Amino acid sequence: MKLKEIDRTAMQAWSPAQSHPIYLATGTSAQQLDATFSTSASLEIFELDLSDPSLDMKSCATFPSSHRYHKLIWGPHKMDSKGNVSGVLIAGGENGSIILYDPSKIIAGDEEVVLAQKDKHTGPVRALDVNIFQTNLVASGANESEIYIWDLNNFATPMTPGAKTQPAEDISCIAWNRQVQHILASASPSGRATVWDLRKNEPIIKVSDHSNRMHCSGLAWHPDVATQMVLASEDDRLPVIQMWDLRFASSPLRVLENHARGILAIAWSMADPELLLSCGKDAKILCSNPNTGEVLYELPTNTQWCFDIQWCPRNPAVLSAASFDGRISVYSIMGGSIDGLRQKQVDKLSSSFGNLDPFGTGQPLPPLQIPQQTAQHSIVLPLKKPPKWIRRPVGASFSFGGKLVTFENVRGQPQQGAEQQQRQQVFVSQVVTEKDFLSRSEQLQQAVQSQGFVSYCQRKIDASHTEFEKNVWSFLKVNFEEDSRGKYLELLGYRREDLGKKRIKEEKQEPGFVPSAGGTFNISVSGDIDGLITRALLTGNFESAVDLCLHDNRMADAIILAIAGGQELLAQTQKKYFAKSQSKITRLITAVVMKNWKEIVESCDLKNWREALAAVLTYAKPDEFSALCDLLGARLESEGDSLLQTQACLCYICAGNVEKLVACWTKAQDGSNPLSLQDLIEKVVILRKAVQLTQAMDTNTVGTLLAEKMSQYASLLAAQGSIAAALAFLPDNTNQPNIVQLRDRLCRAQGKPVPGQESSRSPYERQPLSKGRPGPNAGHPQMPRVQTQQYYPHGENPPPPGFIMHGTVNPNTAAPPPPSPGHMHSQLPPYPQPQRPQNGWNDPPALNRVPKKKKMPENFMPPVPITSPIMNPAGDPQSQMLQQQPSAPGPLSSQASFPQPHLVGGQPFHGVQQPLGQAGMPPSFSKPNIEGAPGAPIGNTIQHVQVLPTEKISKKPIPDEHLILKTTFEDLIQRCLSSATDPQTKRKLDDASKRLEFLYDKLREQTLSPTIINGLHSIARSIETRNYSEGLTVHTHIVSTSNFSETSAFMPVLKVVLSQASKLGV
Amino acid sequence: MVSVINTVDTSHEDMIHDAQMDYYGTRLATCSSDRSVKIFDVRNGGQILIADLRGHEGPVWQVAWAHPMYGNILASCSYDRKVIIWKEENGTWEKTHEHSGHDSSVNSVCWAPHEYGLILACGSSDGAISLLTYTGEGQWEVKKINNAHTIGCNAVSWAPAVVPGSLIDQPSGQKPNYIKKFASGGCDNLIKLWREEEDGQWKEEQKLEAHSDWVRDVAWAPSIGLPTSTIASCSQDGRVFIWTCDDASGNMWSPKLLHKFNDVVWHVSWSITANILAVSGGDNKVTLWKESVDGQWVCISDVNKGQGSVSASITEGQQNEQ
Repeated sequence: MKLKEIDRTAMQAWSPAQSHPIYLATGTSAQQLDATFSTSASLEIFELDLSDPSLDMKSCATFPSSHRYHKLIWGPHKMDSKGNVSGVLIAGGENGSIILYDPSKIIAGDEEVVLAQKDKHTGPVRALDVNIFQTNLVASGANESEIYIWDLNNFATPMTPGAKTQPAEDISCIAWNRQVQHILASASPSGRATVWDLRKNEPIIKVSDHSNRMHCSGLAWHPDVATQMVLASEDDRLPVIQMWDLRFASSPLRVLENHARGILAIAWSMADPELLLSCGKDAKILCSNPNTGEVLYELPTNTQWCFDIQWCPRNPAVLSAASFDGRISVYSIMGGSIDGLRQKQVDKLSSSFGNLDPFGTGQPLPPLQIPQQTAQHSIVLPLKKPPKWIRRPVGASFSFGGKLVTFENVRGQPQQGAEQQQRQQVFVSQVVTEKDFLSRSEQLQQAVQSQGFVSYCQRKIDASHTEFEKNVWSFLKVNFEEDSRGKYLELLGYRREDLGKKRIKEEKQEPGFVPSAGGTFNISVSGDIDGLITRALLTGNFESAVDLCLHDNRMADAIILAIAGGQELLAQTQKKYFAKSQSKITRLITAVVMKNWKEIVESCDLKNWREALAAVLTYAKPDEFSALCDLLGARLESEGDSLLQTQACLCYICAGNVEKLVACWTKAQDGSNPLSLQDLIEKVVILRKAVQLTQAMDTNTVGTLLAEKMSQYASLLAAQGSIAAALAFLPDNTNQPNIVQLRDRLCRAQGKPVPGQESSRSPYERQPLSKGRPGPNAGHPQMPRVQTQQYYPHGENPPPPGFIMHGTVNPNTAAPPPPSPGHMHSQLPPYPQPQRPQNGWNDPPALNRVPKKKKMPENFMPPVPITSPIMNPAGDPQSQMLQQQPSAPGPLSSQASFPQPHLVGGQPFHGVQQPLGQAGMPPSFSKPNIEGAPGAPIGNTIQHVQVLPTEKISKKPIPDEHLILKTTFEDLIQRCLSSATDPQTKRKLDDASKRLEFLYDKLREQTLSPTIINGLHSIARSIETRNYSEGLTVHTHIVSTSNFSETSAFMPVLKVVLSQASKLGV
Repeated sequence: MVSVINTVDTSHEDMIHDAQMDYYGTRLATCSSDRSVKIFDVRNGGQILIADLRGHEGPVWQVAWAHPMYGNILASCSYDRKVIIWKEENGTWEKTHEHSGHDSSVNSVCWAPHEYGLILACGSSDGAISLLTYTGEGQWEVKKINNAHTIGCNAVSWAPAVVPGSLIDQPSGQKPNYIKKFASGGCDNLIKLWREEEDGQWKEEQKLEAHSDWVRDVAWAPSIGLPTSTIASCSQDGRVFIWTCDDASGNMWSPKLLHKFNDVVWHVSWSITANILAVSGGDNKVTLWKESVDGQWVCISDVNKGQGSVSASITEGQQNEQ
């Protein structure tokens, strides 16, 4: 189809292949006069803009020339691959002149566009060609057998390829060989072609069919085969194209007789050697395959002859033809409709008639209706054979499951015999790019399969790079251990034993507290307060007595009396007491007494989140426990700084709240990275497993976010080819469309058609069940489906551990239709029973060790608040027993149960009182401790609270006065970590955190000299005030004044931390 | 690691031009200059010829599987100017529709995201792009974008179905308000983005200009829930560009040169998780590329006859970041 038109009678030259955009240069033809008979001449450059649908070529420049041209070529001389230099336009003039133009200067509109001019030839220069190997070499031909070889780098004197051929004749064509750079061919209208070898400087072969009717108008070398060339004849009596092979130069290899009259020009496509253009005096433009002679295409032209035809070197589908009717047309050989052409005619018409309202009638012309018939004619068929450049030889496409499908065809022309040998193969390959991810996923699966959660967590703890990571894994691990609440407390820095020891110390310090039972006392009934109280007591009026005591600020008396006065009075008195009391820990005591843990969790200072969590762990009942942990987590997440936000994860782990953990974690981490997703999934899977084992919570619902993460994870696994693993991790009990679809896809990708599915039209309704039916052994390792369900049992009720519920659908959700009769649920063999909860206690330990641990509903009783009467005459047997054994290792004594009045006075508490209560203990265990605490060395306790949870228990504690160093440095590192963005800094900080352990060890061993200790403290102080430069100064001072060996282990990293902090401005 | 798990001997009698797996990765469709389309069952490393589809009268350039929710449907396009839609009914593959609305070679076919229904985009050397929509009962409605790419459209690729302004899919029940978009690349060196207007007409939304020669292929990356849209394009000029658009309006696309090859690049294909790009070039080289942490595209593998190793540098970098 025609793309563009230029109304010129001109020779034409396309810009070289390197050039972008594509230009077409035209120079006024010397041989043809246009309709105006104008003798002026010009050189013009047009741009081929294919994005412009109109037929007009954009004119870039016009240079009025004093020459008219016989031949115009555009060489890529000095062009680089980017086409920055526009090359050289070489023109053959009428009077033996060869002129070199600079196209870029023409485009720029310069006056001086001629690079050089030589009038060496004696007649019109009709033949020009650029050597494609050495683009500075140009061959020219004119009459009198003149052939010159020009070096554009040294244009002054041309060479000759050898002695002139005799008899002297015009040279009408000249062409460099496309394969061998020193071979040149020339041809003349007489029909003779000569092949020159420039190395020998002589003609090596002459080609002629001796018919005397070959009038050579065209000569072209085969683009690929060095020894072949075609000659075209313009003689009407012999309008043929001869294909010659120089190896058999006696007669043409093939003769193409497709034109009815003489051929005026030919052009052989460099992009596809099977495409040869020819135009002739029969007004046809044909595209033939010179290797077969077949006509592939006839361009639709008008009836005019074309005298010049050129392929566009850059765009292989584009060609241009110059015709005697004064027009250069640009065509595509790819066919298509010629609507554009019609549009141009329409436009021309309307412009002739003025605009839409040419006659000023006020009525715009109706749009031109083009008859339907024309439209049919306007379709131009493409080449019969697809050109080489659209035959895609290679391809690689990804498909589901990380598979890559590739094919490649042998390059070149695997024609004839070669084709038989070439097997048309397609390779299906597995692409695995995330090895670490896969191996970690594998480990996780193994842990789940083998139930080796504790060791898995321990490995994770050992491998942790950051304190936080270590914490998280420690918390997760606790889930699978005995006495999980106690262990949580330990992780939070509260060790029961520690406090027990302190208590014992305490007791030793306060001997003889028990009042002697002997002796007499005086019952006073005087008029003072004492007297009034006495009266009230004597009359049994506890209420008044308590009032009186309260009024007199005798709190202890009041409470004791209230206890005697019964529950109601006690409660009232407690309220009044709390109303009056203003001590810092009152709120804690209030919460403990009133069981109002919500209050603590809701209003504690977030810096004390550990303490709040500890309190919840100690006291909260199972039914409120997780809610409280959640609440605390939510506060940390919403109110805390970024560091505290991540700590919220710990609360969610305690709460067993998988969904929140996912949400919180996702906020803090970059989830798109497979390994960070792996980090999350590991935790989630372990936590879910833990929750499932404890049965404390409903583990069935998979929230949106978790489902999304799990399916993301499954997708990643699938993308690495681990289809079975992906299936195993995909949540079961959800009907979210994307998960259902993914499951379906995974099942089928495994080559196991989803059973019970009659039509493949409805993936949404598919019941994605695998063929593999679970055997009686629920943990069968070869059945991923079974594993899946083991991780994520579903259904409305929490299934017992290890019990697998298949295909149970939550009726509350818009679930897929009920399973078909073939559904596996009905076919399941009975499951082994031993893990059912009711049997829990009697189960063999091997099976039940883990599940038993966290069975809080059965064996967990939170410490009963102090409202239970301490001096209850009935007492509980346990406490009575303990009272008789004051020296028992247990941390309580009967003495401690006496209220301590000075408690009210406010001990120097800075934190929250450390509770000693422990999950699973009888109520009486915890209550005395609380009350006994006032005498304990609280200062130490409180500081000990601040020790980071993961501190190794085996190590000696850091002396209290130096703990501040550790907390300050750790805190600083955490702050830096949370604001550092680049991985390198994070690594540095993590490393620093680890190296500072050396410092802490030295602190524990108390081996550091006082100077260094003092220096460290002042660094810590400057960190507190965020004066890092001061800290650095102190640092320098320490380093310069101290023994290198003493400080080298930790001082350099401290400097790193300080400078990072200063840099990050945390 | 790239390791061959199956070598399928297609017995095509001429050059293979495309090979595509179905949605599940269990069936392979191939097409060739021998005018045939073949379907193989390749489960478990096997290669059972299921169908040898004859109907095209010229080289078949591309095949495309429809989403299985519509059944087993395959589209093929050919130099014979036709698009044929094949369907499996009762275990036999048959031609179900033939579209001959193009005037030149049809170079590319691509099914729209299944959320839109059964819609096929076809790009042709006649410069037009046609959109076939299944309207039920064997009827296909045709919309045509004329002069989409002067002298030819080489590739079409649909944008994933994403509701503007929302990162995750909307809850089921209400019908999401999708905006249909696709990208095309052509012989005018341009990539164009098209979007369906409310009146159902297709409108050119964007022209992406960076290539200096024919755009051979475009591939819109699958959505992975991020707000960024990504398109890969490759060209006769040897360049592969990654185009990204972050803004909600979808109008600010910026190109990043992935690599300049020494030869024409024919095909680009995203992995399902959109993190790896497979690039196939005229030197018969297949390379895999991945974006590193710092946003540079790195070649992680050279694939030769389906085999290759994967450099671990990127993975290590990610690990260090942890």
